[in-house]
Amino acid sequence: MPVFELLIAGILLGGLYALMACGLNLVFGVMRIINFAHGDLLAVGALTTVSIVTGLHLPFFVAIVVVPLLTAALGLAMQVLVLRRLADGPMIMSLLATFALSTILVNLSILIWGGGYRGLPGVLGGSVHLLGQDVALSRLVAFLVAMAVTLLVWWFLQSTRFGRAIRSVSQAPELAVINGISIDAVRNVTFALGAAMAGLAGVLLAPTFASDPQLGARFGIKAFAVIIVGGMGSYPGAMAAALLLGVLEVFGGYWFGQVIGSAMLFLVMLVVLLVRPRGLLGMGVRA
Amino acid sequence: MKSLVIIVVSAGLAALIPFVGSEYALSFTVQLFVFVALAYSWNLIGGYAGYTHFGQVAFFGVGAYTGALLMNAGVHWLLAAAGAGVSGALLALPLGGAMLRVKGPFFAIGMFGMARVCESFALGFDGITQGGTGLYLTPVTDLKPLFFVLWAIAFGMVALTWKLDNSRLGIQLLAIREDETAADALGIRTTRLKIGTFVASAIAPAAVGSLYATYLSFIDPATAFAPMTELTTIAMVLLGGMGTTFGPLVGAVVMSVVNELLWSRFPEIYLALVGAVILAVVLFMPRGIVSFAMRRAWWWVPAARSSLRRLASRPTPSRSPKEAH
Repeated sequence: MPVFELLIAGILLGGLYALMACGLNLVFGVMRIINFAHGDLLAVGALTTVSIVTGLHLPFFVAIVVVPLLTAALGLAMQVLVLRRLADGPMIMSLLATFALSTILVNLSILIWGGGYRGLPGVLGGSVHLLGQDVALSRLVAFLVAMAVTLLVWWFLQSTRFGRAIRSVSQAPELAVINGISIDAVRNVTFALGAAMAGLAGVLLAPTFASDPQLGARFGIKAFAVIIVGGMGSYPGAMAAALLLGVLEVFGGYWFGQVIGSAMLFLVMLVVLLVRPRGLLGMGVRA
Repeated sequence: MKSLVIIVVSAGLAALIPFVGSEYALSFTVQLFVFVALAYSWNLIGGYAGYTHFGQVAFFGVGAYTGALLMNAGVHWLLAAAGAGVSGALLALPLGGAMLRVKGPFFAIGMFGMARVCESFALGFDGITQGGTGLYLTPVTDLKPLFFVLWAIAFGMVALTWKLDNSRLGIQLLAIREDETAADALGIRTTRLKIGTFVASAIAPAAVGSLYATYLSFIDPATAFAPMTELTTIAMVLLGGMGTTFGPLVGAVVMSVVNELLWSRFPEIYLALVGAVILAVVLFMPRGIVSFAMRRAWWWVPAARSSLRRLASRPTPSRSPKEAH
């Protein structure tokens, strides 16, 4: 069994999961909303990337800059038009709303891009020799950019004034308000940031994986498993769990086949829910 | 009383459809009954016990597959549906025991994940389920027997909910919904009740799943575990009124008609429009049609828990002075 090779493949995959799940987790932290549409923002990001590169013949790095801005705008629109009104109501409302938004995004994407798979041949092709292994360039770049951005956002949360405001709204909204933090502003910015991270994840996976409008259902829901395992609301937890689950999925896929490999993520999630509901590094979120 | 009249009249009218309606009306009503049964089952756990259940479609799909496999082994479709119902209960029992310990968003995501696990298994174990190709069944020639079985299940669920709404059990479930810790402290056996309700809410979806497979004479993972089924069911309950006797029925009828109209007019963007309709319901009608009508106290709207209200408003026998000391 090529343990080392699988381990590297798993970590590279985990980097993308980290970017995706950290965005989802940020949004959950400040809004207590589980965003079912997060994965579909990712799909929109991936498909827009394909259009930019193969349709408009622009270089790939243009997509890295433009697409996150686009999905951030899309996310902000969702937040301002719909979710803002539901954030403090019963959870079932916001869950249903994001579920409905997800359906709308998927079906509009099908209308725009068609239902088929789209690839990005020739972008970041080839491979690099790394630690005695041949690693596909597209995967390596995706991992490096994803990890860099994830860590950058972490730094932003830990060390800047606005980052502290986000964390305080996440941990104690009442106290944040008392201290003069505008919850609305924090929520809007966080939602846009989360959506941008989803979009960027979409850009980064477009060269490696075939993209289609259903990508969100396949990929995005893995982010749920990640944040449950890592602990809802915990940023480092999500990063650690993403790498762990990436490795687990690759090994599971090697042993039991692709389909069961992805199902394993959810089985792990269910076990964590039962044994340790607040997750590996969870902060014990009040529901 | 009013409630009983409404149930009997609507059941009677619905039973006439195969004799007066067209083939199209028949097949529309069959699908409507499927959703009525799903909505009432969801209402038990989501509306009364207050657990946001996002994995009901798991039971629907498992039932569909159990039924389809049984039918392909030569079992009659009616027995297959019964078998599917049993499979739903057998799956729900351990699952409920495990999952109902977590609450709120954790329960929602956990059950949502469970449905995806089941879908993966249906795709992955292609030796049994034929994977993405799906299972083909012998087509049914006459829809009428199927119609009446679904009719019985749908209105059975309505009647059951009416009984529940007027019972101690229903009140206990509502107590769990409002404050589980307090309910526990009052001596309500919350764990047992929750698991029981969860199992009860899994039987009809599984049986109906099998009947739906019979109706389509085909089942594949995408149909059996469609997130759209889940979303539509919950939206129906919400539109009608969560935790009410007639909410799911009203919601299912209104939503089915709207969906059918959208489907016939705008087939390309149908699903996106359904999403928009659900969004509108969440934003503008979150308490539901029935709750709205109850607040207005229109004469034909039955009050919730009418028998219990009558019981409570009975003059209490005056106590003897001895007892007071």
